[in-house]
Amino acid sequence: MKIQAFLQKVLLLELWQGMWVTLKNQFRPHITVEYPKETVEFPPRFRGVPRLRKDPQTGEELCVSCLLCEAICPTECISIVSEKRPDGKGKQLISFTINYERCCFCGLCVDPCPTKPITAIYMSHDYEFAGFDRDSYVTAREELVDGKPVKIYTS
Amino acid sequence: MISDNIIRNFIIPLTQVLVILGVASGAVAYMTLVERKILAFMQLRLSPRRVGPHGLLQPIADGIKLLLKEDITPDKADRILFTLAPIVTVIPAFTALAVIPFSGGGTFQIFGYQVTPWIADVNVGLVFLLAISSLGIYGIMLGGWASNSKYPMLGALRSAAQMVSYEVPFGFSIIGVMMLSGTASMVGIVEAQREAHVWYFLPQIFGLFVFFVSGVAETNRLPFDLPEAEAELVAGFHTEYTGMKFALYMLAEYTSMIVVASIVTTLFFGGWLRPFPNVEALGFLNLGLDRIHPVLPGYFWFLLKTFLVLFVYLWLRGTFPRYRYDQLMRLGWYWMIPLSIMNVIVTGGVVLLLRR
Amino acid sequence: MFRTEMMDINMGPQHPSTHGVLRLKLLLDGETVTDTDVLIGYLHRGVEKLCESKNYHMIEPYTDRLDYVAAMYENLGYVETVEKLMGITVPERAEYIRVITAELQRIASHLVWLGTHALDIGAMTVFFYCFREREILLDLFEAFCGARLTYNAYRIGGLPWDVPPGWTDRVRHFVKIFPGRQQEYDTLLTKNRIWLGRTKGVGILKAGDAIDFGVSGPCLRAAGVSYDVRKAHPYSVYDRFLFDIPTGENCDTYDRYLVRMEEMRQSLRIVQQALDGLPAGEVMGKVPKRIKPPVGEVYHTVEGPRGELGFYIVSQGEDKPYRMRFRSPSFVNLQALPHMVKGSLVADVVAVIGTLDIVLGDVDR
Ligand code: SF4
Ligand code: SF4
Repeated sequence: MKIQAFLQKVLLLELWQGMWVTLKNQFRPHITVEYPKETVEFPPRFRGVPRLRKDPQTGEELCVSCLLCEAICPTECISIVSEKRPDGKGKQLISFTINYERCCFCGLCVDPCPTKPITAIYMSHDYEFAGFDRDSYVTAREELVDGKPVKIYTS
Repeated sequence: MISDNIIRNFIIPLTQVLVILGVASGAVAYMTLVERKILAFMQLRLSPRRVGPHGLLQPIADGIKLLLKEDITPDKADRILFTLAPIVTVIPAFTALAVIPFSGGGTFQIFGYQVTPWIADVNVGLVFLLAISSLGIYGIMLGGWASNSKYPMLGALRSAAQMVSYEVPFGFSIIGVMMLSGTASMVGIVEAQREAHVWYFLPQIFGLFVFFVSGVAETNRLPFDLPEAEAELVAGFHTEYTGMKFALYMLAEYTSMIVVASIVTTLFFGGWLRPFPNVEALGFLNLGLDRIHPVLPGYFWFLLKTFLVLFVYLWLRGTFPRYRYDQLMRLGWYWMIPLSIMNVIVTGGVVLLLRR
Repeated sequence: MFRTEMMDINMGPQHPSTHGVLRLKLLLDGETVTDTDVLIGYLHRGVEKLCESKNYHMIEPYTDRLDYVAAMYENLGYVETVEKLMGITVPERAEYIRVITAELQRIASHLVWLGTHALDIGAMTVFFYCFREREILLDLFEAFCGARLTYNAYRIGGLPWDVPPGWTDRVRHFVKIFPGRQQEYDTLLTKNRIWLGRTKGVGILKAGDAIDFGVSGPCLRAAGVSYDVRKAHPYSVYDRFLFDIPTGENCDTYDRYLVRMEEMRQSLRIVQQALDGLPAGEVMGKVPKRIKPPVGEVYHTVEGPRGELGFYIVSQGEDKPYRMRFRSPSFVNLQALPHMVKGSLVADVVAVIGTLDIVLGDVDR
């Protein structure tokens, strides 16, 4: 045992072992991706910015202006203006704005949305949002439904 | 007309110097890329790949970036020394290339003049190298001092202590080689290895170890990169440097790396010789280069060996943690110096016995 | 003949190895540290005060931002505190999934610690290997809750979602491959003489001092005190799993390293047991729509990767807490820093900051 420990010390064995590990890893595939050219795949639950959607079958507005999402949002970034429907049943949206600048991607707004199982507000997979001015982050209803145009910086 | 004398003693050496300076600067630039690539592969990442195919133009982009960067001199710095320091560092680094035999075994014939593959074959080549390499530290100390800032000063102090103490084993470790070959000329040492039928890394394994370790310490590379330990001293002695001056420091660091690697190749791995240079049957290893010109295979082998040594440098950097300042000193004085002295004594004894 | 003077040096808030915006004012005698001043507050966001104006649902995303390296634990501690206050029972399956994700989070957090600690000491490659494994874990979290750093993964009363299909198999796969990967860090560091030199005998924190400073977590256990909230005051379903509490004896940086390495192995054991015993069923318990805890106050702790993580809530019967207070382990552990670095070298300061494993979001809140 003592001899072994001595040899280990003199022959720098543990250093060689360490160098072997790094050498070995050199031949493993890399784990990063070249971002704008390739992107990673997202799982279905990925939380990008929240967006609105219409009923995929009928194309009708799903949101019933219940203001629950506005109430639960911890950063108070949703603002909804609505009015009584002309036929007197429920309310309809006048405007629906999310300030992406403040949104913290927490996903709480989706929880209470009553239009189950397809919630009117949902966490999309959009995430490329770099911009130059703050005003452009205030996103109105049309863009919330159709998606914000994304600038692609890749050559 | 220009006399024969002027051409032989002035124009030819000047051309050689310019060519080797140019090649060396290019090599240094690409050394940075190679370093980043190798480290990236070890760390399972992608290396720089944007500029040019596989990032091959990255060094050029970096160079342009450094050139165009604002050159800031701190308010409280000593302006003259601050500018002078990087220059003082970079000149000895390049000067050392003068005595390194990049190839051998013949000369080029250009317009009837004999041109050697090295700039100068000084008969005290090794001593010259030692002298020159210890000059580099002045630039580092000056830079750290002239910045008039606390982190650079700590870095400069560390580097002064480190370089001075590693200078000793650095010098001692090559004495064994000198004793074996009986010369201090770099070309002579390679020739002696051809005659001895063995590269000196075998009889001088301790010498090689000490030389390499002190070489790493001299060039401030991990695991001995205390003067610029980025986790502790931000960037050490060049914290305050930007733009071109910073580039000069980097240039000096990488040039010294290449110089140390070339010295290791020359002293311990037979310089430009191919493996088993005296065995005719292995001539195919030269890949037919010798049929074009007898000097060419020398370049090939020299570059290959130097690159392998440099790879070990990078490998160390990729693997080990950094020593602490006092541990580094202890390693130098307690282990490296006694080991190198022992190596000198044993080698001397053996040489003496064999001569009898 | 010579005049010597002490040198004041500012380490941080912008410094490569102060793990964020910690600022240290060191008084140096040469390279020896004679005095240290820890200055914090550069990341203060006033979360505690902010919580007083948010209802109980809204607070959880804010807890994510405290200790952002181990956000699962902040979530876990918070929801359990509210559950304790309201007397809500959480379904078995939710408890088990909470334990699995939390223990995986402990591994992920320790991997960040190991990577950055090694990087500070100069071993840069270990950092990337650690992040390679952390990446697998973050992918798992992402598949589970949709986010990689600020999870907001639990809800008061259970979980918002069950685990996605195939998730447990991926966790099992991780449990299988991780020991081999950990072996790699072991080979690179544990016996490496430079690593030993840099960590042995550095930053000694004796058991008595540690208790006096209120230090908890691996830093306390490396001093030989076998205190772990998971065993001392079992919460969730931890009393059902077999695991050991690793302790050290030399109270130095190296022992803290060994303790944390062993903790990763123990976490893996817990994950394995929890996977095997994972019951079927609901993941959300019976919770009133509006969370209005009764008047009262509650203190609850969980064992985070950095130490004892406490939550204190005073409720006045409204849907917002009257007072919210976090006992953040990083803040408490940081107190010991001046004591630990006194008389050591600048390079050791870096090692000690690394070994305390502070997260500035947790220190400053
Ligand atoms: S994700 Fe969170 S912060 Fe963003 S809008 Fe929804 S609730 Fe508000
Ligand atoms: S919770 Fe859903 S339905 Fe209600 S306002 Fe928001 S998006 Fe519309």
